[in-house]
Amino acid sequence: MQLNEDAIRQIVVDVVSGMTKEGGNSASTSTSTAGSGNMTMKELGLAEEGKSSDEVVIGLPPAFGKELSKTMTEQDHADVLREVMAGIEEEGIKARVVKNYVTADVGFMGHKAAQLSGSGIGIGLQSKGTILIHQKDLNPLSNLELFPQAPLIDLETFRQIGKNAARYAKGENPDPVPTRNDQMARPKYQAIAAVLYNKEVQYLDQNKKIVDVEVTFGK
Amino acid sequence: MEYIVGVDIGNSTTEVAIGKVDKEKENIDFISDGIYKTTGLKGTIDNIEGILNSLNSALNKVDLGYDDLALIRLNEATPVIGDLAMETITETVITESTMIGHDPWTPGGIGLGVGVTTLINDIDDCKAGEDVILIIPGSVDFADAANIINQAKERGVNVNGAVAQKDDAVLIVNRLDETIPVIDEVKYIDRIPLAKKAAVEVARPGGTIDKLSNPYGIATIFELDSEDTKHIFPVARSLIGNRSAVVIRTPEGDIEERKIPAGEIVIIGDRGKSEIGIDSGADEIMDSLEKIHPIEDVQGQPGTNVGGMLDRVKATMSKVTDQPLQDIRIKDILAVNTFVPKEVKGGLAEEYAMENAVGLAAMVKTSQLPMRKIADKLEEETNVKVEIAGVEANMAILGALTTPGTDKPFVILDMGGGSTDAAMVTTKDTIYTTHLAGAGDMTSLLINTELGLGDIKLAELIKKNPLAKVESVFHIRHEDGSVNFFDEPLAPKLFGRVIILSDNDKIPIPTDHSLDKIRQVRRDAKNDVFVRNSIRALKRIIPTGNIRDIDFVVMVGGSAIDFEIPTMISNRLSEYGVVAGRGNIRGVMGPRNAVATGLVLSYLETEGSVIDE
Repeated sequence: MQLNEDAIRQIVVDVVSGMTKEGGNSASTSTSTAGSGNMTMKELGLAEEGKSSDEVVIGLPPAFGKELSKTMTEQDHADVLREVMAGIEEEGIKARVVKNYVTADVGFMGHKAAQLSGSGIGIGLQSKGTILIHQKDLNPLSNLELFPQAPLIDLETFRQIGKNAARYAKGENPDPVPTRNDQMARPKYQAIAAVLYNKEVQYLDQNKKIVDVEVTFGK
Repeated sequence: MEYIVGVDIGNSTTEVAIGKVDKEKENIDFISDGIYKTTGLKGTIDNIEGILNSLNSALNKVDLGYDDLALIRLNEATPVIGDLAMETITETVITESTMIGHDPWTPGGIGLGVGVTTLINDIDDCKAGEDVILIIPGSVDFADAANIINQAKERGVNVNGAVAQKDDAVLIVNRLDETIPVIDEVKYIDRIPLAKKAAVEVARPGGTIDKLSNPYGIATIFELDSEDTKHIFPVARSLIGNRSAVVIRTPEGDIEERKIPAGEIVIIGDRGKSEIGIDSGADEIMDSLEKIHPIEDVQGQPGTNVGGMLDRVKATMSKVTDQPLQDIRIKDILAVNTFVPKEVKGGLAEEYAMENAVGLAAMVKTSQLPMRKIADKLEEETNVKVEIAGVEANMAILGALTTPGTDKPFVILDMGGGSTDAAMVTTKDTIYTTHLAGAGDMTSLLINTELGLGDIKLAELIKKNPLAKVESVFHIRHEDGSVNFFDEPLAPKLFGRVIILSDNDKIPIPTDHSLDKIRQVRRDAKNDVFVRNSIRALKRIIPTGNIRDIDFVVMVGGSAIDFEIPTMISNRLSEYGVVAGRGNIRGVMGPRNAVATGLVLSYLETEGSVIDE
């Protein structure tokens, strides 16, 4: 993305229009069921701390697969979440999905997911595609594996991340998922990342706290 | 009263001892010591930098300068260097029939399925009642694959098992109405022959397959006669211990373990010579070595790896000593059997097999090293008189005798990085010495290859330190089973890992190996090199050849600092009633500084005679 004046102007327009939309949005009650692609997400009750040690909790921000449906590299949220969950399932571990209405920060979201997880392992996944693996006893700003360059993560890597989280939950010592590094990713996507995050936080709702979500895929 | 310095240039470290000598009272007080890594190859002029660094650190401790020193005594270093090589001597080749080393992390389902290999896209051509093993390429999604299998089963097609390209086995099985065994992560799935009878077996978690690892099990499934069963035996054998397996019956399908011609070595001794192939293994090499001992020279077959390695060692030594190449002789070799993980040739899933390999350490000896050059240069740098004083072995014995509780006759085992040296002193002060190939560097090499680390520095760390497993953010379990708790959370990069506990640092080992496996490899490597070399050394230098005839063995040198090598050797030698332990030079230095201490002590003594084996 060339960051010329036009682009910046466009971004500002985007952000401002997003802000005005917020006013309209808060008035309408959010529907309990929403979908992105072939995915349906049904919000259940307040998420509680898991008792079984064979689960990994995936923490999502409110707009994931709902108001927002694609990552910043245009990957469908349904495909991304399906691959992460498949990775966990392939290792014989259960995946539980929660939506975090309190924060959209990937570190805190992942840490909260880990605290809710019976195994102590959680995943934080932002709508823009940034993802990390967390453990409940770690400092929130720390983590087991972080994938900060979201544009470089393909579906196969999302599957691997799910697998690794599950293997940590089993007490194994997986090799960290290899990631690519691109010097240009930051300047190229920084603006769009900011816009997406900005949209994301508009849907936070401190009263709703963290809720369990039942996810079903059309496939 | 004067200050005397002893300088010992070893293969890996340069050590210094400073003594205050009172000539009238014949009394020596040790006031300081220093250690620095040896710069350059031992016995070359490059050593000066290491000597000066080591000397300066010793002088700084007691606030002395070069002017205060009366004499520097340099050891006549044993002209011994070693080198290492590793030769793989077997290779496993498979043709079509099976995935022998392939043990995917998470196979799906359970049980045994037999049928004809069929591509998932061709399932519609199958009729009801047909027995099928489905081949699922990576382009087919796991949910789609499960649907197709469910529909086919409803139609009456017996889908008895499946082989998938991606890591999808559990995902597919979880979506099936009826569980079948599924094997995944078969990278080259397009190479699986179609329309052939095949069997897929998956054992329960923690279990191992029992039908396909049994030759008669395979014979039952494929209705083989006795001749074919003989033929299939290597397949069954190679599947033992797997949790899952696929065997496909093709007329020409086969698996074999070939020996790679790795070259021959020629051992020339006083009593004749022996030619032996590296591929006959370490035990045979060592046997023929002992038979021919003492050795005049060892030569490698030109054009082979082992030939190249032996030539390289000789060339290095020839350069260092300025002696013609043909005068340089290899005086000892140590061969050790080991395993190297290698990709199986013809494999469908990038499977690995542990191939046999032989590790080889060689030791070269020349008449002498150019120590005089070093001495002159050192004199120039420090303005202190430098003399070359005595043979290394004598000095080491003098130094080692300062270990409390020792007496003659006794043996010192000097275990360094490149070679294992031994010296024995009798009650009549006669000294026998021997130098053997193989020491710390060889151990690191074995650990590095057997664990497939590809990182010799990491292998060194594994060698030197105990292991632990990080079980939670707040506690680790040591290799002996004891637990250690922490108040502060451990670094996230350590979570779940097997770690190396070096001094104050915890270093994660980035492999899948379990703690037990790494520990076993580490101890086996030490056993193969140090314990075997200590027995070999003792048998050579004890005049009677009987280890029971000595009472004391003192271990010195860098590898004697190791946390388990001294105890491993002590245990082994206790079988012979020998008191063996780590030296404690001057009662304070541990196993270090023996030669440097000996150099200072010998200032007041005359040296005994040395008999080199």
